[in-house]
Amino acid sequence: MPIIAFSSDSYQKSGEIAVKTAEALGYKCLDRKILRSVAAKHDIPEENLIKALDETPSFMGMSSKAWKRYLIYIQEVVLGILLDDNVVCHGLAAHLYLLGISHVLKVRLFEGREARAGIIAKQERVSREKAKKIVRRKEKQRKRWSLEAFGRDETDPSFYDMSINISQIDPGEAVSMLVTATGYRKFKPMTYSMECMRERELTGRVRVALLKDFPNAMVQARGSAVVVEIKALKREKSRKISAVKELVGNISGVHHVEVHIIKDIFREAAESGR
Amino acid sequence: MMAIITISRRSYSKGKEVAEKVANRLGYDCISRDVLLDASKGFNIPEVKLIRAIHDAPSILGRFQHIKQVYIAYIRSALTQRVKADNIVYHGLAGHILLKGIPHVLKTRITINLEDRIAEEIKRKPIGKNEARSLLLKDDQERRKWTKSLYGKDPWDSTLYDLVIRIHKFSVDDAVNFICQAVGLKQFKTTDVSQHKMDDLAIACQVKAALVDEFYDVAVTSEYGNVIIYTKTDERPGHKFKQKVKSIENKIEGINNLEVHKGVPYPPEAI
Repeated sequence: MPIIAFSSDSYQKSGEIAVKTAEALGYKCLDRKILRSVAAKHDIPEENLIKALDETPSFMGMSSKAWKRYLIYIQEVVLGILLDDNVVCHGLAAHLYLLGISHVLKVRLFEGREARAGIIAKQERVSREKAKKIVRRKEKQRKRWSLEAFGRDETDPSFYDMSINISQIDPGEAVSMLVTATGYRKFKPMTYSMECMRERELTGRVRVALLKDFPNAMVQARGSAVVVEIKALKREKSRKISAVKELVGNISGVHHVEVHIIKDIFREAAESGR
Repeated sequence: MMAIITISRRSYSKGKEVAEKVANRLGYDCISRDVLLDASKGFNIPEVKLIRAIHDAPSILGRFQHIKQVYIAYIRSALTQRVKADNIVYHGLAGHILLKGIPHVLKTRITINLEDRIAEEIKRKPIGKNEARSLLLKDDQERRKWTKSLYGKDPWDSTLYDLVIRIHKFSVDDAVNFICQAVGLKQFKTTDVSQHKMDDLAIACQVKAALVDEFYDVAVTSEYGNVIIYTKTDERPGHKFKQKVKSIENKIEGINNLEVHKGVPYPPEAI
């Protein structure tokens, strides 16, 4: 059965619809509660993970390195759970790392700007004009976040199978549409789409294993073979290849590791100048 | 069930097919080019000029901006005249913007992958893949620029719509099902209040269309047939303007009262 991945500007509203959809379909609902176990697994504060999902790195805030690390931790755990399918997922940016998997129904839930400005004006007791500015600022922040984290603009409707304006179409009707959509043949898991999902999950685990020593490694899994791309100097080549193979080779599901070395031209230039 | 459905689309995006099937299923009229024909006939402008006005983006120097605004006022007037009768599916350009503020309008958008659009274009025209791609991209940019320059809105922004459906995993028939399901909701049903709003918009558009050629810089509102024409200048309106207003009052049906307000800021709902 399919997976439904929600994207929304409002965690609370998408949460309501996600829970109702999961109930109607008898699916599991995966949300930010999962971050507690991610935090426990890697011994980091849960708040940092929430922050990583909402904010971009900044000079005064989270460092870029930590931000990327947190996102990789989250992806690893989420992808592991999504292997089971029959899951409704929201608030974890799954729509951005599940692109190209055919049994994932990607849905964007949004509210009209006027409606959002109305809510903000009421909640924060500010003028309508100021509330509109806040809405625009938040939209820009969100767009920036998704572009920096995954190189995709999450507000672009072409990433989604369906985008629903929840200030116009009430949650009950949205749920009914989604329940109908999940019944369509094209969202049924197939051997190939399940294989793609397994590869993503394996990639997630490999990235976590390499994170400490090779934080910038590029990883791609094809079946049980894993290709890792890292930067290194000529003299480090064999040492780094064996280090990667040792780290990745023991991961369950990995039968073959291939390491590609990219010339680290900046370090090479720096060393030759010495 | 009574409602108006606008279907926004790019060229070769199967939006027309969706619109026709929705109209067929609901027993609605399906319109697009008809609006241009009405405008062409009603205001005596060649259709080709209207097509250019709603298709090509304004030039850098904005030389033809005024003419475009005039033609768009004509098109909007023709569109509101058509859709006020209700039970309409409109899949022409900018329906969601031209009918903004009317509660019983379900605003939808159909999207499709560029590759699928290229395949569709090649099927219909004897051109190569690369040419088809560049034609489609150019067309998209023109339309995007057009909407941005005239209305300050990006047509690709999903928040302008109630429902956006991507034809890829969903088929045309699936999209038709979703639109028919959504239009059945009570918020899209025509009520007395929403019909009044529609009638008022149609009156305001007619008044604007009657004035815009000679008096470009005016805005119009209508509330229950009480029409206000806003002018930017504080000066007394000239004889020509007064005569024109008088003739409008006699000619356009549904006007209860007509006033001219000078030198006041235009209200946001004014057209």
